[in-house]
Amino acid sequence: MAAPKFLSCIKCLVVALGVAIAASVAFIYSGLYPMGVDDRHTALTYWALETLRERSISRASADIEVPSDLDTPERLLAGGADYNDMCAGCHLQPGKAENDFTLGLYPAPPNLTRQIQGSDNLESWAQRRFWIIKYGIKASGMPAWGPGHNDERIWNMVAFLQRLPDLSSEQYQILSARGAAESSHH
Amino acid sequence: MQRKTLSWQTTLAVSGLLLVFSAQAHEIEKHMKDAENPNCAAMKNIDIAKMDPDDPVTQAIMQKCMNELHADELTPDISRGDQPEAAKKDAAKRP
Repeated sequence: MAAPKFLSCIKCLVVALGVAIAASVAFIYSGLYPMGVDDRHTALTYWALETLRERSISRASADIEVPSDLDTPERLLAGGADYNDMCAGCHLQPGKAENDFTLGLYPAPPNLTRQIQGSDNLESWAQRRFWIIKYGIKASGMPAWGPGHNDERIWNMVAFLQRLPDLSSEQYQILSARGAAESSHH
Repeated sequence: MQRKTLSWQTTLAVSGLLLVFSAQAHEIEKHMKDAENPNCAAMKNIDIAKMDPDDPVTQAIMQKCMNELHADELTPDISRGDQPEAAKKDAAKRP
């Protein structure tokens, strides 16, 4: 007697699952989902996406070996020039609080000139930054720079990011300029 | 039919070229064409003596603006050849 009841319960669950999948597919094809940036995620969706992203990056970057020589002037100069060319458009530079990208992208790209959050664990911070630069983040506007840049070049950018919040706009300009200084004393 | 094939070939060739160009877009040499020069003169308004000579940021600025900023403006010790340890290590690394 108990077996037929159990089977009918399973049938019910299978039917419910089928209906849920069909409804989801119908919703996707309906075009009813508001895709525009002006329509913000609900708090629950935002939490789910952010948690998914953070947990995924933490797990994937955990075993990355951080070079011991990140804090060198050579790395700052090399990373600064690349940051200025590839990242400053979205992640800003000292003296700038916003631009079209920070206003228009959703989620807004983080302002990397601000003090590092969770700086008590710099190794984990560096691992995560390296991973994000190398592999990018899906559907966020953050590209993967790995295909066109070797690991050393990416570490240079991580080194620069580590010191970016300390820089004045004058220091930033000098460290990020690719050209050589023109001497006014000769 | 032949025209259609040709059009596909052209599309493929153009896509391939674009892919190659985009892959080269971040070579350092490509950036050098529009390279901005460092505005070392801006540092003259800053009290450089208060900057830590062992700080990699100070050392990087010094490397970049060696011609603009006299070494003695940055730190008297450096001008006497008495470089900080980190700067000595960096100099040893250079070819």
